Amino acid sequence: MLECKEITKVYGRKAAVDHVSLKLEPGHIYAMLGPNGSGKTTLMKMAVGLVKPNSGGFWYQEAPVGKESRREIAYMSTEPYFYNWMTAGDVGRYYDDFFEDFSMEHYQSLLKRMELTPDMKTKTLSSGMMAKLKIAVTMARKAKVYLLDEPLNGIDLLARDVIVQTVIEQCGSDVVLVISSHLVDELERVVDSAIFMKEGYLALMGDVEELRVQQGKSMVDLYREIYGHGGEEGC
Amino acid sequence: MLKLMKYEFRKTMFSKMILLVITAILELLFLAGIFLNWDNGLAWGIIGLTLCAIVGIFYIGLESLMVFHRDLNTKQSYMLFLTPYDSYQILGAKVLENGLSLLLSGCFFAALAAIDFSVTVVYLGGFKELVSVVSQLLKQISVEIHFTTAESLIEVFAVLSVWLMTIVTGFLAIVLCATVLAGKRFSGFVSFLIFLLIFWGSSFLTNRIPNGLGTTMYYLVNILAALALTAVMYLISG
Repeated sequence: MLECKEITKVYGRKAAVDHVSLKLEPGHIYAMLGPNGSGKTTLMKMAVGLVKPNSGGFWYQEAPVGKESRREIAYMSTEPYFYNWMTAGDVGRYYDDFFEDFSMEHYQSLLKRMELTPDMKTKTLSSGMMAKLKIAVTMARKAKVYLLDEPLNGIDLLARDVIVQTVIEQCGSDVVLVISSHLVDELERVVDSAIFMKEGYLALMGDVEELRVQQGKSMVDLYREIYGHGGEEGC
Repeated sequence: MLKLMKYEFRKTMFSKMILLVITAILELLFLAGIFLNWDNGLAWGIIGLTLCAIVGIFYIGLESLMVFHRDLNTKQSYMLFLTPYDSYQILGAKVLENGLSLLLSGCFFAALAAIDFSVTVVYLGGFKELVSVVSQLLKQISVEIHFTTAESLIEVFAVLSVWLMTIVTGFLAIVLCATVLAGKRFSGFVSFLIFLLIFWGSSFLTNRIPNGLGTTMYYLVNILAALALTAVMYLISG
C-alpha cells in the first residue's frame, strides 16, 4: 500500500534517512520508534511529499506520492501548523474544503470529546490542547493511511488515553496507521507492528508478537537493546 | 483552486479591511471639504486618498511576498503543501489572488477618483473651477499633475501589471531562497541579488519597447510584456 525503496535524505553532510526500504500493509498499526534525530519525522514527511528525498522514493498504491496520494494519506505533524488567525472551527472548515474524506460531523464530536470548542483560537491553545486539536482534525478524515508524528508529546496521562482511543477507533482492515513516539510502553498496548529507526537507517521492523516469540523480548526490551547503553552494536 | 484563492485572500483580509477603513475616513474628509467649504479637509482628503491608493497597492503586493515567505519557511507551509494540489496550483492561486487584488484595488481607487471628480465638478459648478481648486491646493505642496482620461487608465493598468511582475519575481527569489539556497550562508542576500538581477533584466526587456507606437499602444505592449514575464517567472518558480 505505502512503500519506500532505498529512500535517502541528506541535510548538509548528515543523512537524516539512509537507504530505508519498507512496506506498510493495510490492517496494521505500526509504532515508529527511535530517539530524536533517528529519522522518523523526515521519513514521514517524505511519505506525504513535504520533503523531497535525495534518492529513492515513496510509492502509494504503486504510484509515486504526490498530490493524488495526499487525498488518502492523513499526516499529523508534531509541530503546530495551523494559521494564527484560525479558530478550531476554521481549522475544521479548512479541512472540509480540501479533503473529500473529511467529516465535519465527526470532527465536531471529536472536538467535544477533546473538550475543545469551535470558537477557541489556535494561537491561544496550550500545547496539550493543540495536540488534541491536531488529532481531532486528522482523525476526522476517513483516510486510508494515517501518519501521526509524536501525537502523545507533552500530553498528560488522561488526555493520552483519549487520544489513543480516538486513534485506534479509526483502524480497520483497509487502513494503515503509523504512530511515532518515544513512549514505547504506551504504544505497546495498541500497535501490532514496530519500526525501529536508528541514526537514519531501519534498525528493525516486524510484527510485535512475532518479535516477542522469536526474540523473547517485548517492544520495550527491544527498544532498550537497540538504543540503550551497549545496544549500539546489537542491531 | 478557488478554495486556495479563498484562503489566500483570507490571509490578507485584515490589512485590506484596514485599507478600506482608512480610505473611507479620508473620503469623508474629502466630501466634508467639498460640501462644507473646508479647504484643509479637502486638501488632506485629496492628499490622503492619493497616498492611500499608492501605498495601499504597494502594500498589497508587499504583503503577498511576506505571506509567501512565511508559507514557505514556517510550519504553516504544511497547511498548503498537505492539500491535494501541486506546487503550480498553490503558487498559481497566490499569483491570481494577488493579481485580482491589485486589479480590484486599482479599479476601486480609479472609480473612487472618478466619482470624487464628478461630485466636485457638479458641486463646484464646472471643470474649470475644479482644476483651479486642485491646482491651488497642489501649488501649496509644489506638485504638478496632468489630467488625462483613457490614457490615464491604461497607465494605471501598466503600473499594476509591472507591479505584479515585480511581485512574482519576488516569489521566484523566495522560492530560490527556500529551495536551491536553503541552508547556505547569506541565502537571503543572494536571493535578493537574484531578484534585483531578474528585475533589471525584465526592465531592460520592457525598455526595448519602441516609443513611436503611440501612447496607448505603447502601454498596451508594456502590459502584455509584463504579463508574459510574470508567466515566465511563475513557470520557473513552480
